[in-house]
Amino acid sequence: MVKVVVAGGGWSGCAAALSAAKAGAQVMMLERTDMLLGTGLVGGIYRNNGRFTAAEEAIAMGGGDLFVAMDANARHRGVNFPGHNHASFYDVSTMEPLVKKVLQHYGITIRMKTRIADIVKYGRKIQALVVDSGEVVDGDVFIDATGTSGPMGNCLKYGNGCAMCILRCPSFGPRVSITAKAQVKEIMGQKADGSYGAMSGSCKLNKDSLSGDLRQRLETEGVVVLSVPSNLARNSTLGKKACSQYAIAEYATNLVLIDTGHAKLMTSYFPLEDLRTIPGLENARYEDPYSGGVGNSVRYLGMAPCDNTLKVESLENLFCAGEKAAIIVGHTEAVITGLLAGNNAVRHCLDMKYLELPRALATGDFIAFAHDQMATKDGLRLRYTFSGSVYFERMKATLLYSTDRAEIGERVARTGLTDVYNRCLV
Amino acid sequence: MNRRLTASCIDINTPYCPCLLAETNHCVFCSHLRGQPVCDCNWGGVCILYEKQWQPKNVMAKNGGGPSRTDELGRIVRREPLGKDTYLLEVAVTEELARGLEKTGAFVFLRRPEDPQFFHFPVGVMKVEGRNLQMVVEAVGPKSNRVLEDQAAELLVRGPYYNGVLGQPWIDNITCGKILLISGGMGQAPALPIAAKLAANRNEVTAILAPGHVGSVFIEAELVGLGVKTHVVDSLRRTGFALVTGRLGDGAEKPDLIVSAGPDEQHYGVINAMQAAGLNLPMAATNNSTMCCGEGICGSCTRETQDNRIIRTCKVQTDFTQLL
Ligand SMILES: Cc1cc2nc3c(=O)[nH]c(=O)nc-3n(C[C@H](O)[C@H](O)[C@H](O)COP(=O)(O)OP(=O)(O)OC[C@H]3O[C@@H](n4cnc5c(N)ncnc54)[C@H](O)[C@@H]3O)c2cc1C
Ligand SMILES: Cc1cc2nc3c(=O)[nH]c(=O)nc-3n(C[C@H](O)[C@H](O)[C@H](O)COP(=O)(O)OP(=O)(O)OC[C@H]3O[C@@H](n4cnc5c(N)ncnc54)[C@H](O)[C@@H]3O)c2cc1C
Ligand code: FES
Repeated sequence: MVKVVVAGGGWSGCAAALSAAKAGAQVMMLERTDMLLGTGLVGGIYRNNGRFTAAEEAIAMGGGDLFVAMDANARHRGVNFPGHNHASFYDVSTMEPLVKKVLQHYGITIRMKTRIADIVKYGRKIQALVVDSGEVVDGDVFIDATGTSGPMGNCLKYGNGCAMCILRCPSFGPRVSITAKAQVKEIMGQKADGSYGAMSGSCKLNKDSLSGDLRQRLETEGVVVLSVPSNLARNSTLGKKACSQYAIAEYATNLVLIDTGHAKLMTSYFPLEDLRTIPGLENARYEDPYSGGVGNSVRYLGMAPCDNTLKVESLENLFCAGEKAAIIVGHTEAVITGLLAGNNAVRHCLDMKYLELPRALATGDFIAFAHDQMATKDGLRLRYTFSGSVYFERMKATLLYSTDRAEIGERVARTGLTDVYNRCLV
Repeated sequence: MNRRLTASCIDINTPYCPCLLAETNHCVFCSHLRGQPVCDCNWGGVCILYEKQWQPKNVMAKNGGGPSRTDELGRIVRREPLGKDTYLLEVAVTEELARGLEKTGAFVFLRRPEDPQFFHFPVGVMKVEGRNLQMVVEAVGPKSNRVLEDQAAELLVRGPYYNGVLGQPWIDNITCGKILLISGGMGQAPALPIAAKLAANRNEVTAILAPGHVGSVFIEAELVGLGVKTHVVDSLRRTGFALVTGRLGDGAEKPDLIVSAGPDEQHYGVINAMQAAGLNLPMAATNNSTMCCGEGICGSCTRETQDNRIIRTCKVQTDFTQLL
C-alpha cells in the first residue's frame, strides 16, 4: 500500500490528497487549524479570466471534483468586474464542510488541529513528520502544502503586524514549512521595491454592517464599484499587494466590493475611519482579517525550489503544491498544482515516470513559466495567476486563453491526458 | 507524557521576556531576534517578536541595563542551623517578589548589601510563606559564607529566576502519575517545593532521602505531611541507588517520572540505576550549573548537549540526560 501524507489542508493540500487518493494511495492529510481550505476560507473568486481555462483543463484531465464542488456552491456566476470577466464566486461561509465531505468520500483520513513542527529525515529521504505533540507520522511520500502565509513574526517584520486573519496563528501555532525543516533553502518572493513578502490583496467586510441598500445591490449583482473620494486614493499601496491582477489603477480610485458571503473588498487594508466616510459604509466593520483597517497577512516567504513535476529539489520523496510550489496566487492555481503533486507522489512510490504537464496546456505552461521567471531577479518581484497580470497577458498572446469547453477538452485530448487523474495507478 | 521539552526558554511568557538576549539579537527562541530573515520558532503560545514590538523601545537605557531583574533589600527574620555549616534562612521580601517565586524551579541570587555584585550566588527557594522566603544555605566558600557571617540582618535578593529544575515542564504537567523522587544533602531544599507541586497534582510520590554533606534529613516531616512515602537511607551511594534500581525493576512500582534533587554526581547515579534496570524514563533534575548573572549574558552557565548545541542553562530548558 502506498502511503501519502499531505501537510496542510488549504486548497492545494485538498487537491493533492484527492488526486493521490484517486490514483489509489492511502492518504492522510494534516491541518493545523480546525478548518480546511486555508486562505480559501476567505477568497472565493474563481473562473475569472484565464482561471476558467485552467479549471476546464483540470476537469478534462479528471481532476474536476473540487471545481464541481465550487460550482455547486457558487453565489454568483458569469460576473464581470474591472479587469475581470466571467467570474464565479463561491460562498466562503459554506464551502469548507462541502470539501471535507468530498475528501472523506474518497476515504482520505483528515486530521484537524494537527500541526507539523518538525520532520525526520534520513539522507535525501523524509521518513516521517513530527506533530507538535511529539507524535510521529510516517509515510512513503510527503506533500508540502503548508502555504506561505504568516506566521505572526513575518507579518510583523514584512507587513503591518498580525491583523488576525483566518489562519489564526495565536490559536493554532505558527505555519511550519516541511521543506525548510528538511533544510532545503527556500525562495523568498519580493515586493516591487525588493523587500521580502507581499501583503494579501483583499479584506472582507461584514455584510450586515453595510447599508441596506448597498447590501441589496451587492447580493443581486454580485459586484458593486464605489468611487473612492480623491483625498483617500491610494496609489502607493499597489506595489505591495500579493495580487498583481488587482494592482491596476482602477483599483486605486475605486473600491470594488464582491459578494462571496462576506463583502470582499479588493484592497489589502483600508483604515476604518476613512472607509466609514464612504456612503453605504458608515457602519462598516471587518470580518477578515479582523483588523483589516490596519493590515493583512504577508505571504510568499518561503517557496520550495522544485521542478515542473513539483518534486522538491534535493529530496527524493517530497512534493509541493500551491503557494509552496511557486509565487502563484489563487485557489485555481492551488488546485491544479495540488492535483499534479498528488499524482506524482503516487508515481514516486511505484517507480513510474513523473507527470509533467505539457506547455500546450495553459496549466502546464503556467507552472513552467512561473518557474522560469522565478529564476530571474525581476521575476521574483511578480506574482503569477491565470486571472491577470503577466501570465494572463501571456495566455492571451499565446492563444492558451479559451472559454470554449469543447475546445479545451480537445486540447487536453491531443496531449493524451484526458482523465489522467481518474486513473488508479496502484 | 509528552517527552519533548518544547518550552525551550524558561522565561517565555514571563515579564522577563523578551530579555537582553533578544535585545542583543541572540534570543534562543525567535529566529527573527537572532537575525534570521523568517519565522522559525517552536511556539511558546506567544510571539516574542511581537512582545518585543510592544516593549518600551528604550529598554537598555532603563533599569541600568534592560529587562532584567533588580536587587531588593530583604530582612532576615529567621536563621536556624540545620546541619554542618548549613542554615535555614527566612527572609522577608516584597509581595511581588514572593508571588513571583511561587513556581517550580524558582531561585534567587543573594549577597550582602555592602558587597559588590559579583558576590551574589544562586539559591533555590524551598518555601514561600506569605512574604517570607525559606531558603537553605550551606557555607562552602567565600560567597555563601558572607551571607551567613556576622549575624547579618539584611540581604540583597535578586529574582525571580526560574530555571532551577531541568525538566520543569514535566513536573508541572504530570497528574495522577507515579513519581520517584531521590534527594540527598542540599538537594532536599529544592526537593520540597517539587514534591509539593507533584502532590498537589494528585501524583503518588515516593521519596528516597539521604543526609549527604549536610549530615541531616530535614524535609522528611514536611514530605510525610504532603502524603509522600519516604525512605531514609544513610548514603545514596552505599544503599540508595540499589534501592532505586530495585524499585525500577519491579513492574508494579515503575514510576512515570524520576526526579533527582541533588548534585550532578547524584543525577549520574540515578541514570546508572535506570540503565541497570534497563529503563529509559523521563527524568527531571535540579540544575547545578555555575551561574553568575542569571540573565543569559555572562556565559558562565553554558553546557554542551549531545547534539552539540551550547545552551545557557540559566534560561534554557533541556533534558539533563542530553547534557554531555
Ligand atoms: C485574504 C485572501 C483572499 C484571497 N482571495 C482569493 C480569491 O478570491 N480567489 C483566489 O483564487 N485566490 C484568492 N486568494 C489566494 C488563494 O487563497 C491562495 O493563493 C491559495 O488558496 C493558496 O492555497 P495553498 O493551499 O497553497 O495555501 P494556504 O491556503 O495558505 O493553505 C495552507 C494550509 O496549510 C496549513 N498549515 C501550514 N503549516 C502547517 C503545518 N506545519 N502543519 C499542518 N498544517 C499546516 C495552514 O493552516 C493552511 O490551512 C486569497 C488569499 C487571501 C489571503
Ligand atoms: C539554581 C541553583 C540553586 C542553588 N540553590 C542552593 C541552595 O538552595 N543552597 C545552597 O547552599 N546552595 C545552592 N546552590 C549552590 C550555590 O550557588 C553555591 O554553593 C555557591 O555559589 C557557592 O559559592 P561560594 O563562593 O560559597 O563557594 P565557592 O568556593 O566559590 O564554590 C563552591 C562550589 O559551589 C559551586 N559554585 C560556586 N560558584 C557558583 C555559582 N556562581 N553558581 C553555582 N554554583 C557555584 C561550585 O560547584 C563550587 O565548586 C544553588 C546553585 C544553583 C545553580
Ligand atoms: S548565568 Fe550568566 S549566562 Fe547563564
